[in-house]
Amino acid sequence: MNSIKLISFRKMVMFLVLLFALVLVGCGNKESEDASNADDNNTTQESSTDNNSTENSSREVTHSLGTTTIEGTPTKIVTLYQGATDVAVAMGIKPVGVVESWADTPYYEYLQKDLEGIPLLGEETQPNLEEIAKLQPDLIIASKNRHEEIYEQLSQIAPTVVHQDVFDFKGTINLIGESTGKEDKAKELLAEWESRVADFQTKIKDKLGDKWPISASVVNFRADHARVYPAGYAGEILTELGFKGPKNITENPLPIVLRFTDKESIPQMDADVIYMFYIEDEATKKTLEEWTSHPLWKELEAVKNDQVYRVEEVYWNFAGGILSAHIMLDDIYDRFELEK
Amino acid sequence: MHNYITVRTKSNKISFQLSKKVAMVTILLCILLCGMIMLALSVGSDFIHPVTVLKELFGYGTGEYLFTIQTLRLPRVLLAVLVGMALAVSGLILQGIIRNPLAAPDIIGVTSGASVGAMLFLTYATVSIHYLPLAAIIGAGVVSAIIYLLSWNKGVTPIRMVLIGIGISALTKGIVTMLIVMGEEVRTTRAYIWLTGSLYGANMQDVYLLLPWVIVLSIFTFVMARVINVKELGDDIAVGVGVQVQVYRLLFLLISVMLAGTAVAFVGGIAFVGLVAPHISRMLVGRSFAALIPISAMVGAIIVIFADIVGRTLFLPKDLPAGVFTAAIGAPFFIYLLFRTRNQHS
Repeated sequence: MNSIKLISFRKMVMFLVLLFALVLVGCGNKESEDASNADDNNTTQESSTDNNSTENSSREVTHSLGTTTIEGTPTKIVTLYQGATDVAVAMGIKPVGVVESWADTPYYEYLQKDLEGIPLLGEETQPNLEEIAKLQPDLIIASKNRHEEIYEQLSQIAPTVVHQDVFDFKGTINLIGESTGKEDKAKELLAEWESRVADFQTKIKDKLGDKWPISASVVNFRADHARVYPAGYAGEILTELGFKGPKNITENPLPIVLRFTDKESIPQMDADVIYMFYIEDEATKKTLEEWTSHPLWKELEAVKNDQVYRVEEVYWNFAGGILSAHIMLDDIYDRFELEK
Repeated sequence: MHNYITVRTKSNKISFQLSKKVAMVTILLCILLCGMIMLALSVGSDFIHPVTVLKELFGYGTGEYLFTIQTLRLPRVLLAVLVGMALAVSGLILQGIIRNPLAAPDIIGVTSGASVGAMLFLTYATVSIHYLPLAAIIGAGVVSAIIYLLSWNKGVTPIRMVLIGIGISALTKGIVTMLIVMGEEVRTTRAYIWLTGSLYGANMQDVYLLLPWVIVLSIFTFVMARVINVKELGDDIAVGVGVQVQVYRLLFLLISVMLAGTAVAFVGGIAFVGLVAPHISRMLVGRSFAALIPISAMVGAIIVIFADIVGRTLFLPKDLPAGVFTAAIGAPFFIYLLFRTRNQHS
C-alpha cells in the first residue's frame, strides 16, 4: 500500500502568502482608484464652477456625497425618501416615481390626492433600481443614510442629489429647491414655516405666561419596548417651537432616540407634556397597558396634570416633510387650544 | 471498475477518481447553472428575451437594455454565483474537518464575527459605507481566531471547537442586539438588511474583489481534497496514514474562514447555504471530496441566484433581500436533515 505523500507544509505557506499578496494588491488598486476618482471629482468641481457663471442652463449642486451637475430644469423627478416626497409635493412638483410609505401603504393619506397613480419604486431601504431606470428620470433625490451604497448606480441613471438625514425637512427643501431651480419657492416655504413658529411662540407665551417654556417628550410604544425621541424629526420641531426636552435627559447633543425595555426607565420620559404614538395591534396595546399602569408612570408630571396626548405617528415620525410638519404644528395648536 | 476514471499526476501529488456518475451530475449542474444565470439576466422589472440579453452582452444589441443588463443585473448575478460558491465550499470543508453534518460557517464564528464587525461599523463609523466589507472581514477573522485559540488544549479537537463556537456565537449575538438597540434608527434598518443578507446594489468592483479569493481558494481546496477524505475518517486514522492533523486542520479552517468571510463581507449574513449545499451535493454524488467541491460550489451558486431572483421579482416593485429566501429554502431542509439523522440512530 502506498503511503499518502502530501505537499510540504512550507509550500503551502508560500502559496497562502502569495494568495494574500494577490488579494492585497487587488484591494490596494481599488483604494488608489477611489482616490483618483475623488481627485477627478474635485477637479471637475473647480472647473465647472467657472462654467457656472457663463452658462445658466446647467447647475452645480453640492451635497453630502459630492457635486452633481444638473442640465436645464428637471421635470421628471424621483424621490427616494418620505421627506423628499412630501417636500416635492409642497413645492408643487409631481414626482414621476416615489418609494412606498411606512404606513397606509402605498401613499400616506395626506398625500393621496397628489400622488395618486404615481409609480412605486419599492421600499425606501432598498428601492428597485430597474424600476427607477425604467422611468428615465432627470433628477433623483436620495438620502445618504439610506442610499450611499447605490449612489453610483443612481448617478448613472440620472443626476442624483443626496441629503444627509431623512428627517431634516429644511435641508431637504433647500436641496430640492437648488436642484430644480425653485430657490424662490424654497425660501417661501421656509419663511412661511418660520412665521408660523414665531406666531406659535407669541401665542403660547400669552397663554402660559411664566410657565413657558415647558418641557415636552415624544414617546413611542412598540410591541416589545418603549422609545423616547429627544431629537429626531418631532423632537427637533418641538425644540424649534421653544419646548424644552425631556426633564431627565441631559445629554448634549440630545440623542435622536432612546430605547427602553425596562419600566425602571419610565422617569426618563418625564416632561410637562407627553406626545405619544403607537400602532394598533394586540402586542403593542399590551405593552402600552403594562407601561401606563406602572406606578412610576403615574409619577410623571404630564400624567399627574393630565397632559398626555396620543398623536398620529405618520405626521410626528414617519412622513418627515414640511407638509407633515404643518399638520403636526396644527395638532399642537389644537392641544393647547390656541387660535391658528 | 469501469465506472471510474482515475486522474493522477506523474509525481503523485494530485490524484482523484472520477466516476461517470459524478461527470454526469457535473455536466447537468453546469447546464442548470448557466440556465439560472440566463434566467436571472432576463427577469426583473421587465422581461428581456434571453436572445436579446446575449446580443446585448456580446455587443450586437441595440443598447436599449445595456444599462439594465450590464450595470444592474450582471454584477448581481455574478456576485450571487461567487457568494454561493464560497459559502458552499466553506461549509463543505467544515463539515469534512469537524466531522459533523451540522457544521456551517456560523459555527467557527465567521458569520457572527462579521456581523459584529459590520454592526460596529454601522453604529460608530463615519467613513464611506464602501468600507463596510473590510470591517466585516476583520470581525470574521478576529472572532474565528478567538474561537480557535480558546479551543486549543494541546491541539484542537472538533467537538471542543463546536462547543466553544456555539458559546461565542451566543455572545456575539448579544453584542449585535446591543449595538442595534444603541444605534440610530436609520442605521438599524440598514443593519437588519445586512444581517439578513442581500445582493442589492452589487457592482462589478465587488465581483472583481471577490473573484480571486473564490477561484484560488477553491482550486487549492480541490488540490488538497484527499487530505480531507482521510480526515473524515477521524483523527486517529488520519495520523495513522501520515497526515499532520493539527497543521491541516488549521489550514483548512483558515481557507474556510477566508471563503465564507469574504462572501459574507460583501452580501451580509446569507444563511443556510453553507449548511445545505454540501448536503444536497452528497445526496447527488456520495462522499468523494474531490467531486463534492465543484458540485457543492454549483449547488450553492444555484441556491443564491434562485433566492435573489425570487427576492427581486416576486414582490415587484419591492426588492427584497435574498437572505430571506435562502432561509426559507434552508430551514425546512435543516429540519428534514435532523429528522433523517434521528431515524438512522433508532
